[in-house]
Amino acid sequence: MAVRPQHMHDGGIVERRLRPIYDWLDNGNNKKALQEAEKVLKKSPTLQAARALKALALFRLGKGTEAHQVLDALAEEKPSDDNTLQAMTISYRESQQLHKVCALYENAVKSEPTSEELHSHLFMSYVRVGDYRAQQRAAMALFKFAPKNPYYFWAVMSIILQAKTSEDNTKRGILLALAQRMVDNFITENKMEAEQEARLYIMILELQEKWEDILKFIEGPLYSQLVPGSTAQASIPYLKKLGQWKRLNLVCKELLWDNQDRWDYYVPYFDSVFQLMKDNDDSSENSVDNTAEKCHEFICQLVESMTSGRTLRGPYLARLELWKRLSVDGDPTSILGSGLALCVQYLRVFANKPCAVPDLRPYLGMIPQKEREENCRDFLTCLGFDEKSEPDLADDIQRHISCLSIWRMVAAPLPADGALALAATLKGHYLRCLHRGLVTSNITEFCAVDSYGILAAHHYFYAGILQQSSAPVVEALCLLELVLHHSPANFHAKLLLVKLYHVLGNALAADSIYQRLEVKHIQLVSIGWLHCARLAPACAASRALQLLADTRAFLKHHGKDSVEHLTYAYKYGTFEKLVELGAWGARLEACGWGAAAARDQALLHQLAGPPALLHQPSRLPAVPADNRDLNVIVNFEPPQFQDEQLKTRTFDQEVSYLRLKDALVSAIALCIELADSRPVEEKKQHYDQLNACVDAFSAAMDKCRQMYAEKERISISAPFPSRIIAFVNSPVPYRELYGTALRLVGELAAGHTLAAQDLSTAAARMLPRALLDLTAELAVKGDPVWCMRDRLETLSNYLEFVGIITFLLGVCNELFAPTNAKKSKKKTNQSPDELKTSELLNKLNETVQDSITFLENILDGWPQYELPNDLEQTLANLSIDNKYQSPVESKLKNGRDDMITDVRNILKRKSKYLKTLLQ
Amino acid sequence: MAELYQRFFSRLPTCTVQLSVFDIQSRNLDPLTETYGLSFYTQYLAHWPEYFQVVESPSGEIMGYIMGKAEGHGDNWHGHVTALTVGPEYRRLGLAATLMNILEDVSEKKKAYFVDLFVRVSNKVAINMYKNLGYIVYRTVLEYYSGDPDEDAYDMRKACSRDVNKKSVVPLTHPVRPEDVD
Repeated sequence: MAVRPQHMHDGGIVERRLRPIYDWLDNGNNKKALQEAEKVLKKSPTLQAARALKALALFRLGKGTEAHQVLDALAEEKPSDDNTLQAMTISYRESQQLHKVCALYENAVKSEPTSEELHSHLFMSYVRVGDYRAQQRAAMALFKFAPKNPYYFWAVMSIILQAKTSEDNTKRGILLALAQRMVDNFITENKMEAEQEARLYIMILELQEKWEDILKFIEGPLYSQLVPGSTAQASIPYLKKLGQWKRLNLVCKELLWDNQDRWDYYVPYFDSVFQLMKDNDDSSENSVDNTAEKCHEFICQLVESMTSGRTLRGPYLARLELWKRLSVDGDPTSILGSGLALCVQYLRVFANKPCAVPDLRPYLGMIPQKEREENCRDFLTCLGFDEKSEPDLADDIQRHISCLSIWRMVAAPLPADGALALAATLKGHYLRCLHRGLVTSNITEFCAVDSYGILAAHHYFYAGILQQSSAPVVEALCLLELVLHHSPANFHAKLLLVKLYHVLGNALAADSIYQRLEVKHIQLVSIGWLHCARLAPACAASRALQLLADTRAFLKHHGKDSVEHLTYAYKYGTFEKLVELGAWGARLEACGWGAAAARDQALLHQLAGPPALLHQPSRLPAVPADNRDLNVIVNFEPPQFQDEQLKTRTFDQEVSYLRLKDALVSAIALCIELADSRPVEEKKQHYDQLNACVDAFSAAMDKCRQMYAEKERISISAPFPSRIIAFVNSPVPYRELYGTALRLVGELAAGHTLAAQDLSTAAARMLPRALLDLTAELAVKGDPVWCMRDRLETLSNYLEFVGIITFLLGVCNELFAPTNAKKSKKKTNQSPDELKTSELLNKLNETVQDSITFLENILDGWPQYELPNDLEQTLANLSIDNKYQSPVESKLKNGRDDMITDVRNILKRKSKYLKTLLQ
Repeated sequence: MAELYQRFFSRLPTCTVQLSVFDIQSRNLDPLTETYGLSFYTQYLAHWPEYFQVVESPSGEIMGYIMGKAEGHGDNWHGHVTALTVGPEYRRLGLAATLMNILEDVSEKKKAYFVDLFVRVSNKVAINMYKNLGYIVYRTVLEYYSGDPDEDAYDMRKACSRDVNKKSVVPLTHPVRPEDVD
């Protein structure tokens, strides 16, 4: 944001002097800005604006302390000039000291009590800290001497926000009544001016559930004057609230006649019809649709009324919706015929549009499974195609693809050989089109032909799952890379490639495609599950750290920005948006993935990051918010595989995992606290906290083991099974391993030598056994590439433990041999007990080093990606030009090798560090 | 033309923050579709909510959206289309035209003189669609889109009913530089 205020008041000498400072600040050259400010201050050392700008430059140069000295001195002088105040505001904002801005403007308005501008800044300063009462006060003060509508409504809004956040119902009622009275007065005095003011009034009435009053207001002259032409539409929700079903029915019908494609009118229309049917409404009013027959009749009229020109989907979809709603507790066949026939009819009309598939998807489940599967070919053949048809007109290709897709979405799942055969046919279609020049994609658009390849890839995946075999997945990867080569904008292909490379446990190959998705902003959160969350369990720790840092940076940045957005909403009087912005800010603040990313980052840093202190994340949100978008990958599985519970179930798992990780991070943070040089007696509190934390971790591990014993199905569109499943079900006793290592630090810090010695011995005994368990868990079962993903996850869990125990041994070392003590001196002073502890810690250290050697041996024998022998030939056949080389084989091989190298380097560093700890 | 459509397209419910920021952005997976920072969307939403419209499919998928603003002084007071996007699955349904009509309708209500938009000169499909909707190429803006190489933009316009003499849509004969565009 530009530092320079929009209107400089002083056109004279001061402005001329300040101009270069603003320029440098706005260009990001803070050093020059500082020099320039110093220069100005030499001439006029008391110039407040120059000092404020100097403080900002200092702050941006990382000299926070100096900056705040300047700011504090300035604040003492109670400045009231705009340039100074604005510059100070920016400094306070950037240093997250928003409350200081309030004090600044409180003082400023005291010295200039009639300045509209200063008062409005004061108001905004309260907005930034969310002090609604003070907002109300400031807005009313402002309105008194500058009687403009927005200021009045700022006050009203501030009262509403107080009411909304008040837990006391009586107080809430009083506040809302006050807000309503304020607007009522304005209405009586004919002072309402804007649409947003009318909406604000409705908001007040809504919060008091005065539905009748809202309806009266909407139907009144003022509303139609402020918001012309929207009365009917606006009344819909309130007719519903009031149960005025007949009126609702008539209003929606009226609107639908003119807007046959508006789904937001169909939904309340159906609601009214079904409610009237339930109430056995037998009114003789002909125009009210109170039976299924009349409703159907109305929809048919809509279909027939579409004359020439574009065929709209609305009425056709409405018929499907009617069937679906009727089929919930009855059989609509007598009125509408079979649901299957209706779906086929829809497909016949709209198959040439790519929307046919997403449009029909929600309705296919209403056809009974048996009927669906027996008649599935009706969908394939309704336009004269079958799976072998070879259309070559763009429209026909789209039709063919729609028919094929819906056919697969209703047919019984194929056995592996059937899926492979169909995949081969579809691949053949793609290649045929490619060779005939029917791929019309360019860098911004993809084309229908791509869908042959996408659909083929899905079937290769199904076969891979059924056979537990990697070969079909490799086929899919090769085909999709080819699709992407010719259709660089096809994000469906990219998403599938990311997913399928992960299926084969190759995070770095997946990353090559992920980078082409150019994931940014909110996508870091909404599709974090697809790639970022899978990097650590695929042993790509270094890349995981980068992406986790990006995710965290986005969330942090947004947190800072979101209060500014609130001030815009006041500025432009968009009060509804204020509420939405607040809710949105809270949703991101409580982001479950954000919290998980913070913990993953902290823990992974212990493993793969450069030596640094633990980044202690902020507290866990009380109710983490699920911001994952799980519908981003298109799914062609039949309705019986649609997992309604998927989102909530997998999120519960993620939250449980998040809590486990949070306990670990908190315990490690406590270990660090315990390692300082305080006398033992003062550490009691942290010692108790650590034990409580470890207890909680252990109890949660036990509970989760019971809760998450079941295996999750792997689906092409859903996230992989949560990491918690492999973690708590592992034969490696992580509960005991982590518990012992953490308690060891606690006992050492508390000076409980014997307990510490016991724990150290116990840990040293546990580790070799854990390696046996790990070996068992890592055993290759079947296709070594197919089980690569599971094995890497197993390995990553152990690696993370190695990272943490190594770190904790470092903490032990600090506790036991403070760095300031000289080695030689210390040795001579050690008691026999201390010598024994030292010996035992060394023993544990060596055991961890043995584990590392063991892991290195595992890596030596890590399987390669074996691609089928005839693949080279297949790849050659795929290309239309000789230049194209399928990148799949090299991506898989390089991805694996780079991953192994990365893990090796990490282990080497750990081993080296452990050696330095030996005494 | 805008007047004609006014009868048929009453306003959609305005876009919510949730829709604009989360639903739109999470699916904006085409790298060439500009994805702006969150602040960009929320600022538009806070400033010109009536100019930010989303159309959803029956199953709740975002089919497309438009965002715009009103700006300019005197007879330069106009509606501006900042972004217009229709999802690949929902092309060829006339949604872009519907959304453009809504924006023109809002601009009419705000008594704007014209509506304008910028489009890459290479984007033939879009240029044709705008022409079919009654827009003309008002001027060329040189190297408006940064990239390798930079690309020119067409500044396309359509007069509103307030511009009775259609003064706002008399094409300029010479191209302009981006810094000369207000």
